Amino acid sequence: MRITFQEELDALEAMLQEESELVLRSLRGALNALREQDSQLADEVIAFDEEVDAQYLSLEQGIESLLARQTPVAIDLRLVLAMLHVNLHLERMADLCVTISKLTKLAISLQPNVQIVQTLEEMGGRAEEMIRVAMRALAERDAGAAESLVDLDELVDRANRRLVRRVLELGASEDMREYGLRVIVISRCLERLADHVVDIGEQVVYLITGELREFSDASHPEVE
Amino acid sequence: MRVDVTAPVGERQEGKPSFNQAREVVFDIQELGVSYGATTALRGVNMEIDRNLVTAVIGPSGCGKSTFIRCLNRMNDLVSGVVVSGKLLYHGVDVYGSGVDPVEVRRQIGMVFQKPNPFPKSIRDNVSFALRMLGMKDDLDGRVERALRRAALWDEVKDRLGESALSLSGGQQQRLCIARALAVEPEVILLDEPASALDPISTAAIEDLMHELKRDYTLVIVTHNMQQAARVADKTAFFNLDVSNGERAGVLVEYDDTSKIFTSPSDQRTEDYVTGRFG
Repeated sequence: MRITFQEELDALEAMLQEESELVLRSLRGALNALREQDSQLADEVIAFDEEVDAQYLSLEQGIESLLARQTPVAIDLRLVLAMLHVNLHLERMADLCVTISKLTKLAISLQPNVQIVQTLEEMGGRAEEMIRVAMRALAERDAGAAESLVDLDELVDRANRRLVRRVLELGASEDMREYGLRVIVISRCLERLADHVVDIGEQVVYLITGELREFSDASHPEVE
Repeated sequence: MRVDVTAPVGERQEGKPSFNQAREVVFDIQELGVSYGATTALRGVNMEIDRNLVTAVIGPSGCGKSTFIRCLNRMNDLVSGVVVSGKLLYHGVDVYGSGVDPVEVRRQIGMVFQKPNPFPKSIRDNVSFALRMLGMKDDLDGRVERALRRAALWDEVKDRLGESALSLSGGQQQRLCIARALAVEPEVILLDEPASALDPISTAAIEDLMHELKRDYTLVIVTHNMQQAARVADKTAFFNLDVSNGERAGVLVEYDDTSKIFTSPSDQRTEDYVTGRFG
């Protein structure tokens, strides 16, 4: 019975890694659509969310069934609880990619600002790197790597603040104001996405140490 | 409260203090060891058992957990060749000290066994037998009723107290054995696998009862069923068989709050056992 149980745990964890691959594809699609002003690609990202949702749901059901039948304890219990959280974070991250794609479509007729697009691309690239670090930390039970996400997140936060300053310099024309509004929300989505990755890192540390703790205070005074 | 286990039966203290929040140590166990002839059953056990808590003892077969709780009320005295070393203090009194009456120890520290073992007598006689033996003869019917009520059995048997105890179901028989232990007004109840011979519904009744009883008593339960320990116990002690230096002996590996044992145990051996990766 315990052998089956271990196989089930392994299968669920593998599904979680697959889900993170789907989120990475979604994020890459959203970033490319944004850079290329590609409305069709943006639509594909929006439609792709169904696949992430399906993966989210089957993981949720798999965990529910495992809890009902196997009553995991200790490290197994912590893994199951961590997977529940990580699953939800990944699903939310994919939703943020959808929001970015919807905003991309809304801004499609507006003249993009090269520096702003570069900053968003930088934030997205850092978020992708963070997802890889977090999921590898989970797979390898590496608390140090999980904690390093805080520093990576700080770079995303800084880029977000830089972008806000840049938007304020865009000028007062109606198009620029609308463009500024759209990109600020996109930037906010990327910043939130990175925060979700930090939360995944917290779950990795909980899994390894049994200690539930936030890496950084959400009400940090520097955060805009 | 200090309980004088050396006092003659007639002078024992019958009143118990009401439930208090402050931690009070009932058993202070220091370097406890048990051997049967050349065989070491237990080695170097140090732990404190607190009042009004359910303390579970878990571990694989042969790890000495039954031997351990049988030390607490000197039940091992009845096995020939047993040598107990170390100190076992009950409210500061050495249970194995000279002048201690083992009968009085067992009155204050009652025991319930794996298989319900009622006497082939009436329900009433099962509960009143020890009372008469110990000379607690005043208000016998009242004592019997109180014990049966505390064991959550009264409503089921009040109209047939004269019937044979053997006519009861297994779960009822076990609650009768608990009533029998409660009748002599102990402070501690030791339960050695009390539900392992019972169906799930009777098991749930015993577990609910334990929850009730800990308001007035201190309970120590040995169980093979880890989920039962997780459900009923405030603190859990994990015993394991240690095979080092060519000697096999039961040792206490980890003792902590039950939630800690079942979420993030400190010792890898505990982790392996509770997650089922042991043996």
